Amino acid sequence: MKVVTGVVGNDIHVVANRLIDISLQARGCEVFNLGVNTSLEEFIDAVVETDADILLISSLNGEAEGWCRDLQFLRAEYQLRDVVFVIGGNLAVGEAKDSDIVPKYKSYGFDLVFHQVDLNTGLDALEQYMKDRS
Amino acid sequence: MSLLQRERDVIVNNEYVDKFDFEEIESFIKNAPKELFISHHFKKRDRLLVQPRGGFPTYKKMFALYEEFMKADIDVLPLTVDSNTRLNDYAMSKKMLALSEENEMDMLNGYPLVTHGYRTTRKMITHFNKPVSLRHGTPDARLLVETALGSGIFEIEGGPITYMLPYSKNFPLDKAFLYWKYVDKVCAKYSQLNEPINRESFGPLTATLVPPCVVIVIQIVEMLLSLEEGVKSFSVSFSQNGSMMQDIVTSNVIKKLSRFYADKLGYSDTVINLVYHQWMGAFPRNKELSDSLINTNTVIAAMVRADKIIIKTRDEAFGIPTMQCNAQSVANTKYTLRTLKGLPVVHDEEEEANLEAEVISIMDAVLSDHADTLWRKVFNSIRSGIIDVPFSPHIINKNEVITIRDDNGNIRIIDKGKLPISDKCFAYEKSKVNLPPTQTEVINKIIHDIGAML
Repeated sequence: MKVVTGVVGNDIHVVANRLIDISLQARGCEVFNLGVNTSLEEFIDAVVETDADILLISSLNGEAEGWCRDLQFLRAEYQLRDVVFVIGGNLAVGEAKDSDIVPKYKSYGFDLVFHQVDLNTGLDALEQYMKDRS
Repeated sequence: MSLLQRERDVIVNNEYVDKFDFEEIESFIKNAPKELFISHHFKKRDRLLVQPRGGFPTYKKMFALYEEFMKADIDVLPLTVDSNTRLNDYAMSKKMLALSEENEMDMLNGYPLVTHGYRTTRKMITHFNKPVSLRHGTPDARLLVETALGSGIFEIEGGPITYMLPYSKNFPLDKAFLYWKYVDKVCAKYSQLNEPINRESFGPLTATLVPPCVVIVIQIVEMLLSLEEGVKSFSVSFSQNGSMMQDIVTSNVIKKLSRFYADKLGYSDTVINLVYHQWMGAFPRNKELSDSLINTNTVIAAMVRADKIIIKTRDEAFGIPTMQCNAQSVANTKYTLRTLKGLPVVHDEEEEANLEAEVISIMDAVLSDHADTLWRKVFNSIRSGIIDVPFSPHIINKNEVITIRDDNGNIRIIDKGKLPISDKCFAYEKSKVNLPPTQTEVINKIIHDIGAML
């Protein structure tokens, strides 16, 4: 399974990004890690270039909000219907309820949304999702 | 006119700064009181110098901060520069300084040194007559350092690796090497006039489970890069690892090997100092616990026989501390040092031999790179992963090395990536760790180990 990952926006929170990288590799994935400070366009370019199965974007402190709204359009434009789009991290500025956050990001074009979910719990859910789909 | 002087003329000819008078600056440095030079204080070696961090936007508030520090009997004053200046955005610094002055509110996270200029800043520095240390994080610090030296700031922190790999994703590393060559050349030039200008490297790096061998190698190569330009006083540094024994071992090895490599490459007239940083990772949100952590760190700084300690405050988890809080931390540290007597001298021969062998293996690989200059050798070594800093955001960093803590809090290498350490050393590292059975548990342990002081 090929996974493109990275941190979206003007965000240099590198520690979680590196841990996601190690965890995905431990689960047998081929990881293309774009690192911190990555724009949505760079993510899409990498997905096309590597023919990835999953795009896993991480974000802290609400940076993703402003950066991911256009995902649905890019997804249609590049015909990426089969790629699973996942976002995780701390997806809001300040406190926010899951019941607000999850539908919002799904409307942006994500298949799976993990707001303040423990890393391995999220990756377990992703594995299950991929299994159910195939 | 020399090539360097032509470059300097271009650098200081900037729309945001007043005209530089190099002749006047030279005469100022030549006649400056010895008290302003930290190298002069280091030579005495009579105590552990205490230095906090700190910088406010306006001259008035910076002056008030220094007054508070003086009351706490400070040894070295800090001058922390705002983040716009660090990224050479002088227009934004100027705008935000004006807003700070008008509204009595801090719109910058440090002192915009280039915007204030050397003529203004020098008045403050000479008034307090204490050594001042420049703290920044700037890849291109040429104008900043010219301004600092003209102001009477005679210690310059930073370097092409230590101000780059922890802070930037894609600033070109080769450019950083050349910009820091300029800084070292200018420091060396002024060092001939009076006491030497001290250069200091930034050993904490990402402050996230960086193994001591990587820290020491980077400290040594940044030192050698400065010495080859003529710098005569240099401070190597590292931050609290999380195990007192590992701190002591790191100190003993960094002192021995920095001297060894300086002598080996023909710089035996250089003075090398050791700086210890209090814990650089995440602090507890409980202020009393933060005080306790800071106090423990002060004891360790004394145990490792550092020449200077850079301190934190109880407000670390919350942001920029108030000046009173910062000065109180200086006073507390000074008190601990005054009452701490009769420290034992500690060695661990096995640990030291292992760390020394690791550093020498990596240094051998760096120095035997095919490139013609030291900075190119180091550049190639970083690109190939011979030097690899865990958790660096920079695209050039290999990011293959994985570390974890053993039961005594020592940072150990469990995946050596491309680090050219011997099988024996790597086996020693691994033998100290009881790894959990599954990879998931290993990762959870790494997360826990990063936040060791929470």
